[in-house]
Amino acid sequence: MGIPTTPMVTRAFKELAVLNVAKRGMPELRITFTPHPVASKTPDQLRAYVEGNDPVSGKPMMKEIVQALTEPLSEEERKTGLVHVSVGPERYGPDTLKNLQQFYHDNGMTDFLPITIPTEEEVAEMLKGTSHPPDEVVGTMAGGAYPPWSYTVKQVAINAVMAGCKPEYFPVILAIASSGTPSLMSSTNSFAYAAVINGPIRDKLNMNYGIGALGPFAQSNAAMGRAWTLVSRNLANGGIPGDTYMGSQGNNLNYNNLIMAENEAASPWVPLHVQKGFKAEENVVSLFRGLGIVPGQGARGTSTDTPKYEEQFSDLFSVFTGFFGGLVVADPLIAANLKGRGYDTKDKLIDWLYKNTTQTVKDYKSRDFAYGFDYPRALKGLEPYKTWYAMPDDAVIPRWPHRDDINVIVLGGQTNAFFQGGSLSYTVSVSIDKWT
Amino acid sequence: MNRRTLLSLLGSSPALLAGLPVEAQPGKTTPAKPSTSQPLVEGLNPKGTPPPIQLIPMAPRLDRLDGKTVWLVDTGFEGGGMLLEQVRLWFNRNMPTVNVVFRRKAGPYMEDDPALWKEIKEKGDAAIMAVGH
Repeated sequence: MGIPTTPMVTRAFKELAVLNVAKRGMPELRITFTPHPVASKTPDQLRAYVEGNDPVSGKPMMKEIVQALTEPLSEEERKTGLVHVSVGPERYGPDTLKNLQQFYHDNGMTDFLPITIPTEEEVAEMLKGTSHPPDEVVGTMAGGAYPPWSYTVKQVAINAVMAGCKPEYFPVILAIASSGTPSLMSSTNSFAYAAVINGPIRDKLNMNYGIGALGPFAQSNAAMGRAWTLVSRNLANGGIPGDTYMGSQGNNLNYNNLIMAENEAASPWVPLHVQKGFKAEENVVSLFRGLGIVPGQGARGTSTDTPKYEEQFSDLFSVFTGFFGGLVVADPLIAANLKGRGYDTKDKLIDWLYKNTTQTVKDYKSRDFAYGFDYPRALKGLEPYKTWYAMPDDAVIPRWPHRDDINVIVLGGQTNAFFQGGSLSYTVSVSIDKWT
Repeated sequence: MNRRTLLSLLGSSPALLAGLPVEAQPGKTTPAKPSTSQPLVEGLNPKGTPPPIQLIPMAPRLDRLDGKTVWLVDTGFEGGGMLLEQVRLWFNRNMPTVNVVFRRKAGPYMEDDPALWKEIKEKGDAAIMAVGH
């Protein structure tokens, strides 16, 4: 900014703050730490914080702040120049497979499940899965709130090997990596990520979109999802608790994410990638980000002879905050039923869900994400937030700000008319064919 | 983590900043030596390429705050604004000659607000930013 500036950070974020300022080029930045948390505290409690000591340095907090703005700079604080960061040698060993396995675990390069050791031979085999040269830069990805790292086709291949991928899976991993989307998010929320695969490649890779589609029943589903996490961990330096990962509770879905191949043949509707502007014969991966997915079995009206699935979806979404989009994952039996009742397109179902899944303004404003994200947007004049914040507390508004916050996919083995609902926002669709 | 120790690594061994503890821990840069007759292999490093770090000198400090204008900037995390209100009151009680201006940064907390930075630089002498949480 060009004038003396000092940040106040709660002590739970000490390492994150110290590393962040260092990685952004101001390693000596004078930070004052406060007790944690500052949210949900009374004015008297916060006054005690301010009049007390920095819990990290032990010095009086306000005296420290005044000194941060007035004490002359040291030589280190005036330093300029470029610092190159090493990530270690190109290869490890030679050693036994067992020792190397443990070495990769001990140095934070795995998800702590057994990996395939990425030997030069294994990686060369993986590289046969694409026509792209090994040294081509695939993209960049940021792990946490830091400047992004870059990576090549070969670096992605190393991680694909570690995850147990076959070479024919590799274009999918490259497509995901090219999006720059990590599956490990630094937020204190414990985010989950999903990838929906569409196109003929689903069958070429023997993906499971039938019975148990979301379970551990196909190598391609399992290994490709795991590769996304290793890519995020190693190529973007994500997933380091206290540094690039701050999810308070973590998310079990981070092990291999939600890999969903749409059951296109059994669906009465157009597949997701066609909705996003691709041709049916194209192979595409579409990414989602949010908090997770829950089954909707036992919902209202399930056992009647005229189940209204759209109402059941809406019921399920009412337990989510609306911060993320809504994703319906319907078994083909449900999709067929809905089509028979007049929902001959996904769009008609989405329209109904948008209009009928609602909340009061009072409930909406009381949510933490509304304060942190939507209220500032309202102040900027962005819609619908500006209108929503001007409405009375008892007014009823949609659960989501935009109709296209809702998506629908169809998968499952038709053993029963079940569905799942996700608190997941669509982010991007990427061509897989580009990476073959 | 000792901050001084960490920051001293910047010039000599910045691997810790890259999230790779092996470089920062002598003796752990390679796996343990094999003790069996099992086949030996080499494994490739799966890490991506971090960008270099451009060191940015800090702005010159003020000689004192008396008579100066200090901006308090709320980044939008919950509680940050209330914490800064107590900071404002502290200045009123203890350093009343300091002119304190409060402002919530525009947009969600992760969005930049260059217009505000420009305004602070034009109208202010120093700034305190509170992230809350």
